[in-house]
Amino acid sequence: MTGRSRYLRWAAIAVAVLFCVFPFIWMLSVSLKRQVDIFAGPTLVPQHPTLGNYSSLFTQYHMGSYLLNSVIVVGVSVLASLVIGTPAAYALARFRLPWGLNDHALFAALVVRMVPPILLVVPFYIILARLGLLDSRLGLIMIYTGINTSFVIWMMQSFLAEIPSDIEDAALVDGDSRMSALRRIILPVASSGLATTAIFAVIATYNDFLIALTMTSTPKAQTVPVGISTLIGKIQVEWGPMAAGGIVGALPILIFAFIVQRHFVRGMTLGAVK
Amino acid sequence: MATATAPARASGPGRPPDRGRRNRLDRALPYLLLLPAAVVLGLVSLYPIWAGAHASLTTYLYGRPIAGAGLQNYTDTWHDPVFWQAMWVTLKFVVLAVVIETVLGLALAMLVARDMRGARFIRLSILAPMTVAPVVVGVIWRLIYESQTGFVNPLFSSLGLGAPNVLSHQGSAFYGLVFVDVWEWTPLLFLVCLAGLQSMPQEPLEAAAVDGAKPVRLFFNHTLPLLLPVLAVGVVLRLIDAVGTFDQIFVLTGGGPGTATQLISIYAYNTAFNFTDYGHGAAMLIALLAFALLLVIVALTLMRGAARRVSR
Repeated sequence: MTGRSRYLRWAAIAVAVLFCVFPFIWMLSVSLKRQVDIFAGPTLVPQHPTLGNYSSLFTQYHMGSYLLNSVIVVGVSVLASLVIGTPAAYALARFRLPWGLNDHALFAALVVRMVPPILLVVPFYIILARLGLLDSRLGLIMIYTGINTSFVIWMMQSFLAEIPSDIEDAALVDGDSRMSALRRIILPVASSGLATTAIFAVIATYNDFLIALTMTSTPKAQTVPVGISTLIGKIQVEWGPMAAGGIVGALPILIFAFIVQRHFVRGMTLGAVK
Repeated sequence: MATATAPARASGPGRPPDRGRRNRLDRALPYLLLLPAAVVLGLVSLYPIWAGAHASLTTYLYGRPIAGAGLQNYTDTWHDPVFWQAMWVTLKFVVLAVVIETVLGLALAMLVARDMRGARFIRLSILAPMTVAPVVVGVIWRLIYESQTGFVNPLFSSLGLGAPNVLSHQGSAFYGLVFVDVWEWTPLLFLVCLAGLQSMPQEPLEAAAVDGAKPVRLFFNHTLPLLLPVLAVGVVLRLIDAVGTFDQIFVLTGGGPGTATQLISIYAYNTAFNFTDYGHGAAMLIALLAFALLLVIVALTLMRGAARRVSR
């Protein structure tokens, strides 16, 4: 490696990192400015830094209920989908089912996950309207549970298939039932896979905008992304609170992502690339 | 359709047949385990697709179904110039964005791949754009592009180029959105390529280098072919996602100015929810679904190949 190409490489990496990070810094900067300073021309460091935008976010713009809705909807739907999806994934990873059922089930699971959500929004809307569940957390939880279950099946199937079946065979010989072997032996071994799956389900659900936008209409059920988008009014845009909302919305998920960065590629490519 | 990577392992063969009841239970067990998931998947996938198909064959007035429409919604869509305009914008957007992201992601991965000092920090910061909600991405770039709050206009002005007002002109708005997509998703292709490069066997490369192969030839003859399966996975996943791009555009331009940035997703959304014409909206989306399914099948085939090659 010659000296010049090494410098070139580091320069290119530095540009890439700056390119990725700087827009966040700009948003942070705007979120700390007073309304007058926002319009006073572009400066990176706020002249009169204030947390006013953040407090008005919670006092005027319902950020508290958006966060609460997001936490409830994400928590319940991810938990439910893990409970429903993991046993199915185990069945698909461990048993050879007739009629090519393994392949068909996995394909069905993947279709639900991969099809752009815009395609399912009209039917979802019609169904929730019929059930009287529009603008409710329960309606959102039902939809997200379904979408996440497909993701859990797909991911957990690939994690479970990597665990050698010898270890549970040993437990079965020792007189365990399948279920207790699954609970006592397999789940502990698969716990890092479970964590990865759960975290990616959390990120995808927390970030979803389209479904929440169409299924909800008031702060009673609206989630964080929808809440942020309401700050961009038709007539007037509340720049400061909007930037603060972006920071509040981004922070939990960034922290989450940093914890699991080792698993990131696998999660983002549905397990295809390790 | 039989495509996925199902590892078939017979369940504990050769167990004594005398444990009758438990054996029966064991035989039913896979189905019992699958049942709840099957119900849930049926409710959120099969039923909505059926309901969507049904809606696409119905005439809606002010959001209420008033009559069966036969194939009317589909023929209307076929003859709707705005639909084709939106299709064209979608195609341009998807191809342009994904090609740029692939080239940049690959180039960046080649740069980072070997000396890994500070790699953790680099990876963390590059991860950020694709991790946050697309709505937040929209907010960020709104703040940057906007004439009053952003730095793009002052920057161009100070260079004597005149304020571009990126989002308010038909031409620049489209490229402004492509730029945002590149910012958000190049990281994914970077990470995928990085993973592929790091799991690549080094010996053939070193052998070729010793034989005096030029770096460029080395790349095209050795690295790229080996990387191709992994790269294909990333590209196809990105393609599928890009086809459904909605959030950022909704926040940044809402499809405007005019119809310059109106992707099919935005047009279908507006048709269904702003004009409460679920019939036509559903017809457009069913058409798009066929396209997306085709991409999924291609993706699955590629992913199976890649998983086989990469993992071991």
